Parts: sequence; C-alpha cells; structure tokens
Amino acid sequence: MNELAEPIGSPLTGPLAGPLAEPRPRIAAALTDDNELIAACRRGEARAMERLYHQYKRRVFGMAHRIVGASDAEEVAQEVFVRIFRALANFRGDSALSTWIYRLTVNASLSHLAKRGRRHEVGDDGLTDLPAPPPAERDSALASRIEAALAVLPPGYRAILVLHDVEGLSHEECAAILECRVGTCKSQLHKARARMRDLLGDSLRGPGDAR
Amino acid sequence: MTCDDVRPRLTAYLDGELEGDRGTVVRGHLRTCAACRQVATDEATLRDGMRALPTVDPPAAMWASIQAQLAIAEVEESKRPSWRRALSRWTPMLPRFAVGGLAAAAAVTVLWWRSHREPVQISQVVDHPSPEIQASRDIPTATPSSPPFGAPSFDDVTADLAAEPARTTATYAETATELVTLAAEVRPGWTDEQRATFDARVAELRAAVDRATDERPRQRAWRAMIRYLQQAIVRDDVALASGGVH
Ligand SMILES: [Zn+2]
Repeated sequence: MNELAEPIGSPLTGPLAGPLAEPRPRIAAALTDDNELIAACRRGEARAMERLYHQYKRRVFGMAHRIVGASDAEEVAQEVFVRIFRALANFRGDSALSTWIYRLTVNASLSHLAKRGRRHEVGDDGLTDLPAPPPAERDSALASRIEAALAVLPPGYRAILVLHDVEGLSHEECAAILECRVGTCKSQLHKARARMRDLLGDSLRGPGDAR
Repeated sequence: MTCDDVRPRLTAYLDGELEGDRGTVVRGHLRTCAACRQVATDEATLRDGMRALPTVDPPAAMWASIQAQLAIAEVEESKRPSWRRALSRWTPMLPRFAVGGLAAAAAVTVLWWRSHREPVQISQVVDHPSPEIQASRDIPTATPSSPPFGAPSFDDVTADLAAEPARTTATYAETATELVTLAAEVRPGWTDEQRATFDARVAELRAAVDRATDERPRQRAWRAMIRYLQQAIVRDDVALASGGVH
C-alpha cells in the first residue's frame, strides 16, 4: 500500500494506509477448558467460581461501564455475574462461554437502561460546549470526547461499538452476542460510527489535518 | 464510482474487509476525492481512538458483593433448615452454632425485628423495556434528533429481568430476617459493647431501608444490611467494633 504515490502527510499514509491494528488479545489462555471450569462452578467450587470471575470481570465491567455509564456499572456487572453463576446449570454450550457471558452483559445493560429510562440522557448539545483541547493533550482529550459521545449515542449503537471497536470482537462474535446476522452487525457498526463522527466533528482532526 | 457508492463501503474498507478489486476501487476513489478521504480519515481516527480506550477495572470489592448476593439467592432457594448449609458454603468461616440454649435470645431479637418490620413494599410498577428496544431491528435512519435505535431485539432476557426487582426486594427482606435470627444465636458470644454496636448499626441500616423510596435504592440498602449481618455473624471483629464496612 505504501507504493501509492501520495503526497507526504496525506491521510493515505496515515491510518488509512494499513490494515487494522491488531485486535485486543482474546480472553487469555485460561479459557483452555471452559467445560471443566463450568462443571466446577456448577458444583459450587469457590475457587473455580472466583477464577471465572477474574477471567471475565474486566470485560463484563468494561462493557457495562460503557453501555450504562460509570455510576450504574457495578450494579449491572454484579447482576450479570449473579445471573451467570445461577444460570450456569442451564448453560448448554450452544455458544462459547464468552459469547454467552457477553450476551448476558449486553442484555442486562440494555435492560437496565430501558428501566432507568431516559432521564439521565443528555442531549447532543452537551458536546458542542466542550472547548477544543490543546494539541499536546489531544489523545487523552480525544478519549474523553469519545467516551462522552458514546454516552449520548442510542444504546444499540453503543453496544455494537463497545463490542466491535472497543473490545475488538469480530463481527461473527458480535453477531452471536447480539443474536443478529453478521450483515446486520456490519451495517449497524457503519451507522454507529457515522453517528459518532457527527457527534465528534472536528475533534477527530488534529491541528494539521483540518481542511 | 461515486461518493454515494463509496461512503457505505468505507467502514468495511477501513476494517480490511473488502477483498481484491472492491478494495482497490474504494482506494482509487479516496485518492481523488478529498471529501471522502476526510470522512475515511475521521472514521479511522475514531476507530483507533475507541480501540485505544483504557480498560476500566471493576472495584476490588465487587467479588465480595457478588458472593453475598449469591448467598442471598441460595438462602432464598433452600428450604429451612438447609438454608444455613447454603449460607455456610459462602461464608466458610461461619462458626458452628450451639443451637440449644439460645432460643430466648433469638426470640428477643426476632421480636425486635418484627416490631421494626413493615410489610415489604412490592413495587407495582414493573418497568418494561422501551418500545424502542423491543422494535429495534434495522429501523431506517431518521432525523438526527431522533436517531434509530438500530440494534437487534433483546426482549428475551429483558422480559425476564423486568419482573425481577420486586421479587428481589422481597427476597432481600426475607434473607435479612433470617440473618437477624441467626445473629441472635451468636449474640451471646459478643461483648456488651459489640452488642451495642451491632444494634446501633442494624438500626441505622434498617432506617436506610425505610428511607428508600425506590426499588433500586431499597435493594441497595437491603444489600448493605445483609452484608453487615453476614459480617457480624462470622464474628468479624471489624464489623462489631466499628459498624462494618459500608
Ligand atoms: Zn467521494
């Protein structure tokens, strides 16, 4: 791709030039034997349950955190783990353990939002008031703007962005978690990113990129 | 290829999902079209920014809370007297109780508890997922002010969850009552000071339950109560000396 005769500084030599960054590593090697872990948890073995918890806590909490927001994340994540352990007896292994756990997480998060109603949601206007950050702080400022934009996105868009872009799951995994077709997943991602671009506007552009 | 052809494919292109010619065609357009190039650059920045968001760590105490809730669930499920066995599974330090000779103390505490107890308020308002979530499959893009929800349907689990809050609150109340009875059995082993601390703290927690006007806060208050009772029952000296971890 670098053979493209683009002027230096062109976007094509930047993020557009190469393939995707490496996806985040999948849940570590500890997943080697889900079945054994599940069986031990079903027997109520405290150590196995704790292991399962530690294997999934960051992702479950992280997903909940970004879908329902910081203040309710712990409540939702706890609810998810309680459901996991109580429902493990019914887990039939039709999907990967991770898929099942993330599905519970997304469903519990969306359900929580539905129950909470829209009273906490802020309008898009909140974003436009943010002052432009100085260049040096752009990365962390961009991160916080992304978080802010995620928070005002419709929950379904939030879910697909969190699963695919933040957590780095594949479209196939996302589709299994959201129980939809891969094609639906892709089109939702496209729409969700477009909405994010609208919300973020110029803050996606560094001082040199602005046209 | 026009901008209108390219824009819908940009996401797939950026994610490396367009194979062969299809990718080349998009790339060719981007080289000549500044507007699409800007859109693509923005989306790539966004994508990379999201991938780079820091992981958020759960609070260290979360596991303990989950265990406590599981204990509650087990207590609720098991019929007496097996609930005590269920509880001991979650609180392995639970001392063996001398069951005899403590009936009087237990009766006193239960009387106290009853006198403070009001009927558990079951919320009549069982929330349902918003229609937006239930009818959410591929709604065409609307105006920016009312964006499409646009995610697959989630009603399988949500319907189940919706009925749960009231049930959960009732369960918490029962569990707390049982734990108070259990506390009465171990109470004679405490010092006067510990008993006073326990009574004060339980009264405080009880008041918090009564103050709660909504289902969720009420459940939180019950959970705090249950956590404290469990600590006290396993002779957590901190719980009995200072009123426990809040
Ligand atoms: Zn174009």
